[in-house]
Amino acid sequence: MAGGELEILKGINLEIKSGEAVAIIGASGSGKSTLLGLLAGLDEASEGRVVIGDTDLAELDEDGRAVFRAREVGFVFQSFQLLPALTALENVMLPLEMQGNKDARQQAEHFLDRVGLGERVDHYPRQMSGGEQQRVAIARAFAAKPRILFADEPTGNLDTATGDRIEELLFELNREEGTTLVLVTHDLQLASRCERQLTLEAGEMVAS
Amino acid sequence: MSMTASRMLVRDWRGGELGILVAALVLAVAMVSGISAFTTRLQNALEQESHRFLAADRVVRASTVMPEQWLAEARTQGLQTAQTLTFPSMVFAGDEAMYLASIKAVTDDYPLRGDLTSSREPFGAAELAAQGPAPGTVWLDSRLFPLLDVSMGDSVGIGDAEFTVVAAARTEPDQGTSFLGYGPRVLMHFSDIPKTNVVQPGSRVQYRQLYAGDEPSVARFVTWLEPQLEDRHRLLDVNQGQPGLGNALNRAESFLLLAGSLGVVLAGVAIALAARRFSERHTDYVAIMKSLGATSGSINWLYGRSLLLLGATATALGCLAGWGMQSVFFVMFADQMPVQPAPSGMRPYLIGAATSMTCLLCFAWPPIRRLSLASPLRVLRRDMPDENRRTLTDYGVGLVAVSLLMWWYSGDWQLTAAVLAGLAATVTLGLVLALTLLRGGRLVGMSAGSIWRLALAGLQRRGTANALQVVIFAMAIMLLLVLVLVRTSLIDEWQTQLPPDTPNHFMLNIAPEEVQAVDQVLRTENINSEALYPMIRGRIMSVNADELPKTSDQEEGRRQREVNFTWSDTLPSGNELLDGQWWAPESTEALVSLEREFAERLQVGVGDEIGLMIGSAPLSVRVASIRELDWQSFQPNFFMVFPPQFLSAYPATFMTSFHLDASQKVFLNSFIRDFPTVTVIEMDVVVEQVRSIVEQVSGAIELVLAVIIAAGSLVLVSGVQASVDARMHESAILRALGARRGLILGGLFIEFAALGLFAGFLATVAAELSVYILQVWVMEFNYSPSPAVWPLGIGAGVVLISALGVYSCRKVVSSPPLSVLREL
Repeated sequence: MAGGELEILKGINLEIKSGEAVAIIGASGSGKSTLLGLLAGLDEASEGRVVIGDTDLAELDEDGRAVFRAREVGFVFQSFQLLPALTALENVMLPLEMQGNKDARQQAEHFLDRVGLGERVDHYPRQMSGGEQQRVAIARAFAAKPRILFADEPTGNLDTATGDRIEELLFELNREEGTTLVLVTHDLQLASRCERQLTLEAGEMVAS
Repeated sequence: MSMTASRMLVRDWRGGELGILVAALVLAVAMVSGISAFTTRLQNALEQESHRFLAADRVVRASTVMPEQWLAEARTQGLQTAQTLTFPSMVFAGDEAMYLASIKAVTDDYPLRGDLTSSREPFGAAELAAQGPAPGTVWLDSRLFPLLDVSMGDSVGIGDAEFTVVAAARTEPDQGTSFLGYGPRVLMHFSDIPKTNVVQPGSRVQYRQLYAGDEPSVARFVTWLEPQLEDRHRLLDVNQGQPGLGNALNRAESFLLLAGSLGVVLAGVAIALAARRFSERHTDYVAIMKSLGATSGSINWLYGRSLLLLGATATALGCLAGWGMQSVFFVMFADQMPVQPAPSGMRPYLIGAATSMTCLLCFAWPPIRRLSLASPLRVLRRDMPDENRRTLTDYGVGLVAVSLLMWWYSGDWQLTAAVLAGLAATVTLGLVLALTLLRGGRLVGMSAGSIWRLALAGLQRRGTANALQVVIFAMAIMLLLVLVLVRTSLIDEWQTQLPPDTPNHFMLNIAPEEVQAVDQVLRTENINSEALYPMIRGRIMSVNADELPKTSDQEEGRRQREVNFTWSDTLPSGNELLDGQWWAPESTEALVSLEREFAERLQVGVGDEIGLMIGSAPLSVRVASIRELDWQSFQPNFFMVFPPQFLSAYPATFMTSFHLDASQKVFLNSFIRDFPTVTVIEMDVVVEQVRSIVEQVSGAIELVLAVIIAAGSLVLVSGVQASVDARMHESAILRALGARRGLILGGLFIEFAALGLFAGFLATVAAELSVYILQVWVMEFNYSPSPAVWPLGIGAGVVLISALGVYSCRKVVSSPPLSVLREL
């Protein structure tokens, strides 16, 4: 991928099977997040294509990609990205509401219960620890029943013990829901729990 | 997307983002609708007040009997009617006493508008009377009691009929302020006229038919009546009835409109600032929502609906507040109101709603609309450029919207232009000055070495943002200064116009040999009076040798008429020379100076010849000058002024005006007994009315000023708020690195104080410019610079902005740095 004079990703050819768990590893600045942004349809590639199922993301405009994301994609971010003005429950309900789901509240409550926060549905993000916030984010990601879940350094902002618990939860839910998982990390231990590891170095895929 | 706008609003409200936006909207609507409702109701009240001066809604006046059929038709059309007849006649008492009085005969329904008052004793406490005298009875002017030496229950004669005196006549709504009255009033019943046998064809009489009702019915009746009116009939409406409060109220209205317009500008700026902060803070939310699958359309739809909902709620609240504001005022001043003002109708609230929607559309919507452009990639990379920069188009749209709103609201392009000129000066000067001063020298980093270096670095680092902020602060301060300045000159002007000792009585017909004695009496009684003016009654016969028609049937236009002449070597005080020249002292030339409207009625100008008759002596004069009079000054005013030498040969009487307190009024009793031929005209009721109206309007102006100051403060608060995030962030980092509380607060104080200093200075310059334009072009005052405003403007800038700024950032030194950083 060429951006002016700066090429961030180049010559990446990659296929991920439905239900597969894939880790993208690499050092800071290797292009992991950029690749994730492209795969998830958050960004447009200047060259090349991303095809998910039957959908060629390059043929969609930003709104088309948004509709696609709402239907097919879930996210877990390093910095949680919860809306601070919403309670835990409202944060989880948000993507369900955007899908027009009538049972948004029940499903959101179910997933919050599932991540162990059934008692804290009315708490705001600022009243929660980092681990708790990430659990809300995980509940939000799975509640919308996405086909693919993208996780960007999901444990990067957490201490080891909390990170381990979040990791556990993520893989457990992924198994239960049969979701395809694409995980970006520089944590090799976390990456090793995926079926396949792809290594990026200066924008190029060096090992898979 | 099914998340409803209302739920999003509720969630945002909890997040505290919407407070200022809502406050600004509510204030804008409250100000616009409140002020507009207030002026509408005040105008209604004043119009009713002027109907009072007619004692009806419409009057037809003539010197001959008018068809009864008109009254019958008016009643058929649902109007109320009454009749009056005024004529001069001798009133007799006992064998010897008699006096020339101005008799007024009235029907039972008189007056249709306003109040008739009487008292049980001469000069006693005036009481409201349900109707005029019953048949067979009369009410006498207080001073007729001593003159005729009668008491209540005595008999007086008018022509061939005898009447019982039952009350003292005090005030009639339509008694007017003309000095051409024939003498003290006697009120009698209309049905008693025939038995007096004094009203014969050719008598000097004035018939009036009075009509009142709701305005559409009155208008319908007038349409029916007008084709039947002849030259000798004159139809009067409110415009002819009002003795002149005109100017003061017009200016008050201009002021209120100005205040309202400034309010709209201030509220618009506050809304724009709040909306911008709102959208900045929402950029990340939108990115998250987009990453979760929200489309631009759904984001626009969501925020658009939220804004609409917000606008509707704020409009309702604002209208309620505006309604409350003007209600409170009218309740507060209810006892001083001459009449209960009619409700204002829906228009003011519609204006309020339109203002709110315009503000939302032009100020709030552009930055919020661009929220939908936020890239979802921000969820991965916080350092993505902010798409939401304000564009030139935004400012253009805002400016056009503000101008149109101001123009629509005030209906006065001069006023709009004056304010816009001030604003333009602020913006241009502000940006140039601020950018030059704030960006001078090389850019420095945080420079935490000393308070001063820290503050200076802060000022430079945020140069552009600071320049913008200075302009916004300056705009708010300028608008407040303009209002304070205009208000002060307005109220000063009124106070000089109506000082506490404004003359409220006139004395006419003072014989030359009585002048000294009258003067002496006034001095002994400690009564301040104006100079004694000579007065000669003469008749205008011809213009440029063209004899004028004799008829007195015709009210308007050129005709022979009786006029009071006076003489003076100098231009009388309060008069302004419009055309021609004043004569040299001691001039013996046959010259005259005319009042403008009078000259227009006669259709003469400087250089024309006028033929006059004084007594039986004909004489001819040339028009030397045209003067403008201040009819509101309550001082003796004359249509025709001559050189003293020219008139000195003719017999004159003298007149003066003086101030008498209510407690001194008994003095009139003995005075009239001592000087029976002198006519005293009581104007105290009218002067009091004028004074009370001016007081009410001044009160209204103070109230409106307070509301505008609230709006201005809101702009200052939102202006400070807009920059707080960045400053808090930097300060929190410094704090984390161990900076002392004093260093941070001191630095912030100096930074904000410097901004305040620039803003105050700019505001003062622009305010002087605006006030100059306003006073010279819009309010027609004489402009004088106001040195006091300089320390006020600059001081207010420094104190307000440094206090607000430091207060808004105080958290950075009272909370742990980490929690501050986490919240931002």
